[in-house]
Amino acid sequence: MSRSWVEAILAAGVVPASYVPEASVGRTDLEEFTGADPVEDPELRVHSLAGARPLAPAAVGFLDGIEQWRVVGYAGVTPIVRAHVAAAIRLRGADRRPRTIAEAAEELAITRLDHLPAAVRAALAETGVSVVEISAEDAGQPARALPAARIEVQRARATLERRLAERQLSRLGADEWLVVDGVLSDSPTLSAHPRAVGVVKSHGAEYFEGPELERALTLPAVHRTSVFRPKSRGARRAIHSWYLRLWPWEGNDLLYGLLRVEARAHPETVARASAISAWLTTERAPLATPDRRWDRLLYPIHDVETYLRARAPRDLIPHLASRLPRTGS
Amino acid sequence: MIDRRDPPPVGRVVATEQKPATPHQFHFWTANETSIGIGAIVKVEGAGRGEQGAGRVVYGVVTDGFAYSDLATPLHDVVGAEGDPAKAADSPTVRQEIRLWTAAVLRQRPEEPLQPVPLGQVHVASDVDVAQALRMDTYLGGAQPTAIPVGLYTSGGLEAPVYLDADFLLGPEAAHLNISGVSGLATKTSAVEFLLGSIFQHFPPHKGRVAAVCFNVKGPDLCFLDQPGALEDEDRRRYERLGVRAQPFEGVRYYAPFKADGVNLNTLRTHPDLVGDVEPLVWGLREVLDYAEVLLNRDDIDAKADAFIDFLSDRVVDKEFDDGFGGTHRVVTFADLERLFRSIFDGLELGGGRGDTWRTHHIATIRKVRNRLSNISTRCKGLVTDDGPSNDLPWGRFEDRAVYVVDVANVDPLGQDLVFARVVSKLREHLERRDLGVDAVVVFVDELNKYAPGDGPETYVKKMLLDISERGRYLGLVLFGAEQFRSQVHRRVVGNAGTIVFGRMDSDELATPGYQVLSPATKIKLATLPIGELMLRHPHFTQPIFVRFPRPAVLRGRDGVERFPPAADLPFEDAVVRQLVKLDRRVRPNLVKDVIADRREEDVRRALAHTRQTRPQDAFAHFKKQLGGRVTAAPAAARERVPPLNPISDEPY
Repeated sequence: MSRSWVEAILAAGVVPASYVPEASVGRTDLEEFTGADPVEDPELRVHSLAGARPLAPAAVGFLDGIEQWRVVGYAGVTPIVRAHVAAAIRLRGADRRPRTIAEAAEELAITRLDHLPAAVRAALAETGVSVVEISAEDAGQPARALPAARIEVQRARATLERRLAERQLSRLGADEWLVVDGVLSDSPTLSAHPRAVGVVKSHGAEYFEGPELERALTLPAVHRTSVFRPKSRGARRAIHSWYLRLWPWEGNDLLYGLLRVEARAHPETVARASAISAWLTTERAPLATPDRRWDRLLYPIHDVETYLRARAPRDLIPHLASRLPRTGS
Repeated sequence: MIDRRDPPPVGRVVATEQKPATPHQFHFWTANETSIGIGAIVKVEGAGRGEQGAGRVVYGVVTDGFAYSDLATPLHDVVGAEGDPAKAADSPTVRQEIRLWTAAVLRQRPEEPLQPVPLGQVHVASDVDVAQALRMDTYLGGAQPTAIPVGLYTSGGLEAPVYLDADFLLGPEAAHLNISGVSGLATKTSAVEFLLGSIFQHFPPHKGRVAAVCFNVKGPDLCFLDQPGALEDEDRRRYERLGVRAQPFEGVRYYAPFKADGVNLNTLRTHPDLVGDVEPLVWGLREVLDYAEVLLNRDDIDAKADAFIDFLSDRVVDKEFDDGFGGTHRVVTFADLERLFRSIFDGLELGGGRGDTWRTHHIATIRKVRNRLSNISTRCKGLVTDDGPSNDLPWGRFEDRAVYVVDVANVDPLGQDLVFARVVSKLREHLERRDLGVDAVVVFVDELNKYAPGDGPETYVKKMLLDISERGRYLGLVLFGAEQFRSQVHRRVVGNAGTIVFGRMDSDELATPGYQVLSPATKIKLATLPIGELMLRHPHFTQPIFVRFPRPAVLRGRDGVERFPPAADLPFEDAVVRQLVKLDRRVRPNLVKDVIADRREEDVRRALAHTRQTRPQDAFAHFKKQLGGRVTAAPAAARERVPPLNPISDEPY
């Protein structure tokens, strides 16, 4: 479908473009102080995982998603963005090999319809592609239009991930867990499930300050912090969370090997925090190289991402020569 | 015979800038658990609608395999396992791995235009695919099929018969087969035995009659081709799959020279139950003289010696001949020739002043030729008879589908050369005249690196092997050669072999330049090839193919000597009796022993040879007649004493 709708709008008069924004392969995170309430200890403390018995689920599903997008044309100065979002769950069983048990993908056109000529709108409508609109104010300024489009792509990806996870949770066996790349608190179903764990690699949100922040960010390797409850942000649900250090940060930086784990807000989570942490520590191997975030990226999550990227449309991947002037042939 | 099952896809072709698909090579991946291996034949098809190459079918053979994971560097594995190899196996997730294979293209359909292999699905080849891939379809069917089963291609539970084209195995399009591999493990002799059996059963009628001449040059290898060997069920199944009957050769004729005693056969097939089938191979002067060049070493080869040998052959042997010194000779045997030489030497010595030449030949040349000829009768006593008639292969009466085994395992190397040269030359002569009795003859020679080495002197035997290799296919004279080290055999001998077979190979041999065309994986497979598996090259196959063949249905040499232990040499009298009984079962041993008692062994041998050659109705009577009457020495009459004319005085002083 992608080729056809892009070709259709180009035929309708859209000026072709080929631009992959720099940020399209990454994901933004909140960058603000929100605060947290203590749950396990009165104040944030450090817990060693030495001697902690790792949780050993019979099978674990790992959920991740990807987003890829590029500007495929301009109608005047209004960009038309082609976006691909996909998510998958790969289940790892007794044979230690992940296999895909659920996946979903969507292709979107992101633009502002009323800024487009009628012929282009008609072409889009005929192809049946899902159109997501950005605001009129953003659409008028290319410098704002692309960040707005990026937010829409991220939103679409997060929605897809959430939908897939919620669908799969109902099928989760009694001894099966689901590990989600990112927060659980976006979804009421996920955040309430007893065997769902969120693994957050980015640390834009700040929950502590002063000595507690120092304890959190200087956590030794194979240690965790006390369980805390991040303060609600917008629509996010109550959740329990703690920091976990996979690799020694000394010699690198404060966030090196640092994860934030999320699980349902329940006393059982506190009881299981060390077991879950010890389990996640075992997931350090194999290393998720060559991904640059390997110190925080669990290999099975990396595996899901690799799977999704392998199945993503080839023409959305930026090529070094893609912006060279086209030759006559 | 052909299985037309359609196998499921096992992989998919991939092409990158670094590893592109070309018209002659492609790469594909499979699941980690796969039946694909080195040598597997695959079919590529199923490029989706709109994809490049849709409708094109490509057959290939796997030549190399790669496995790797997404591990960027080994250091990351060390880090992940914290330096403890035991922990590496404990990681909760197995890294993504790939099985990537390289395949060489065997055939493309359509063949024109020749294009890169499409990025389609890969299937394990079925019987039909194997026939297509190896271009066997061109000679498997039609009005006059020429397919000879050679073995089973097996891969991943599928197996398919592989056929050679008789036109390219036995001529006239191409011919000759060369098989190499390490001793004991390459099963070279077994492979040739099986293939000969297959040829005899499948040689197309329109191509005429075929026979084989096998030189047994070591041990009992070929001494029991007419005896059934032990087969396992798997062997029988393979025979059935190949459409070959599991049975020993029906028509086998054994030839072996005598031992030095002239009556006991020089072979390991001397068990009383079997020795009756062995014909003695005995040659006289005429047989040897025609191939005297074999006896001359490099230093001897000169025009003078050649001229003198030609003179003897043309003017002397079998003719009334005046030696110029008053003697008349009829030279038929070595003994006659020796008498002529003595007469010449005596004549020259007594002639005083007549110089040192005889009939323009210098005495030194005459002496040299005499030495060489008498040398052969000494070194090959038993093969070459000084006196008496010869006994030879049935020239002109070769039988269809018969194997003629010439056992020269225990013969002096010079004698082996002579046997080889004469037999092959006679085959060639008769095939040229089309009067051998068959239209094609397979000559099996083991230890080819001994007879046609890549380096060393230009011997008569080597020249002859080169001649067969280069021109034999037009005559129907086909060389099946075997050797341990192909690199040590003359390049033109192996180069002219249309079909080349490899068993288990030596690693050092595989490192020689002749094997550069093989991939490292193929070389490794060759170096570890199990018994009963071979790699095959044939003009129709664009790449080497691995096949398995069943154990030959004949008794192996080692098993043969256990089941039929060679008999001890018989005393002279018993050996004579045995041979006469073989000719005529009515012969009574005691009578024979009485007749030959106190007779000279040479006379007995001569009479026996004559009887053997004549094959009379009454062998004993003929033998007795040839032996002649016993000449008893009469005692000398006592001389009458003559008294002295003058009596001698009794006085002592």
